[in-house]
Amino acid sequence: MQNATLVALSGQVALRRKLDVIANNVANMDTAGFKRVSLDFEETTMPKASATLFQRRDRDNNFVRELATVHDFSAGSVEMTGNDLDVAIEGENGFFVVNTPAGERYTRAGDFAIDNTGRLVTSDGKPVLGDGGEIVFGSEETNISFAHDGTISSSAGLKGKLRIADFPDTSVLAKQGDNLYSASAAPRVPTYVRVRQGALEKSNVSGVQELTAMMDVQRAYERITNMVKQQNDLSAKAVDRLGSVNA
Amino acid sequence: MKALTIAATGMKAQETNVSVISNNIANMRTTGYKSQRANFQDLLYQTLRRQGSTTSDAGTQVPAGVQLGSGVRVVATPRNMTQGDPESTGNDKDIAIRGEGFFQITLPDGRTAYTRDGAFELDSTGTLVTADGYTVQPAIIVPNNASDLTISNTGQVQAKIGNATTATVLGQIELARFVNKNGLEPMGDNLFLETASSGTAQTGNPGDAGYGTLLQNYLESSNVESVNELSSLISAQRAYEMNSRIITAADEMSQTTASLGK
Repeated sequence: MQNATLVALSGQVALRRKLDVIANNVANMDTAGFKRVSLDFEETTMPKASATLFQRRDRDNNFVRELATVHDFSAGSVEMTGNDLDVAIEGENGFFVVNTPAGERYTRAGDFAIDNTGRLVTSDGKPVLGDGGEIVFGSEETNISFAHDGTISSSAGLKGKLRIADFPDTSVLAKQGDNLYSASAAPRVPTYVRVRQGALEKSNVSGVQELTAMMDVQRAYERITNMVKQQNDLSAKAVDRLGSVNA
Repeated sequence: MKALTIAATGMKAQETNVSVISNNIANMRTTGYKSQRANFQDLLYQTLRRQGSTTSDAGTQVPAGVQLGSGVRVVATPRNMTQGDPESTGNDKDIAIRGEGFFQITLPDGRTAYTRDGAFELDSTGTLVTADGYTVQPAIIVPNNASDLTISNTGQVQAKIGNATTATVLGQIELARFVNKNGLEPMGDNLFLETASSGTAQTGNPGDAGYGTLLQNYLESSNVESVNELSSLISAQRAYEMNSRIITAADEMSQTTASLGK
């Protein structure tokens, strides 16, 4: 009987986590290049929780726990901003490569800027890497343009090419915050890539989907809570009945 | 429950977004105004189960881990530095910059500020000043008896003095440019200040390599696109609503739990 409460508890904890994941998706609805995450659950069998003394054996208890957060790497909608330093990668493959003190990181957020030394940087100041390392513009240069294949040029001529990293297996990527991903395997050079200047990839979070998932979680949580309540009533009744002495 | 604080970061970020948008709309008719945008980034992730960790002696691995995010933050509000449309005013002391560069303005405290707003006037001494009366650098003094003020597209200021038939050169307007225009600090009144992140100002004459040219009798209107701003306003509002719905849901879930004890 206690097991029912414990199984319910595992369900409630998992559902709360799921709401956290949904909340994070909704909070990042306007984050450039953000990819939505969904939480998958798995059943865990607890054979030790069964009692074998009764005539009919108890069934094994199945608890629930979170199995994996799955990233949905489908492309987000591309918004034309007209800003020269906004670059979007078309399609769902490919990441910009960003240099951080902890090593190379990958991002889909193309809201770039130029820092005080003329380097092309992400909006929080981390240098974006090209084929030949950091991309640096001189102070007199104008008309910065990104061709469809990632070639960068300005009034001073060719400036190199944006490095695009491709991961055949996206499960090696882990979110780092600050719109960055870290990878546990080396990227390969994509065979085909197309970038677009003056455009920004928005997040691929869809409000309807997230809110529906949220309602699902909420209702499931209520159902479990009700079950716990009934379980409690049942045990209260049992104590009441069994404990009453007939005088 | 983390959902409460996560949704709160979302609401806070959208609030900033709405104030940036409203500032853009409020400055739709401000000369030389450059629209701003709020850039967002996701916050740290908490890893409950790391992908790639070994799950058995046979070397099987976790294909996808469990990572829980913690919300969103506003990381920057960069300006869109595209050219605003030049608008004809017919005032010979109105100057628009086509292309790169800022006018240099001397503030009353001696510092130099930079602006794209070329709505200039003459003060009591005939000096070219901004609408607030701050001097344009390098100072250009137009004598009382001058007529036919012309400013060439390379910044040379000429006028006819008295009854003279030929024009006299009164001065040269210079422009300043920066490696990182977005690093300039806005001080209001259409003025910007140099910062460590903008880099130091480099000055040159209009029309020099890398500098824009001038257009007399015109003002640069703001580059705010009202349609874009309104559609961003709508989506910001919806995002705000959805975040608040998450808070309600998290609250109701806690309530159902709390009601258990009754």
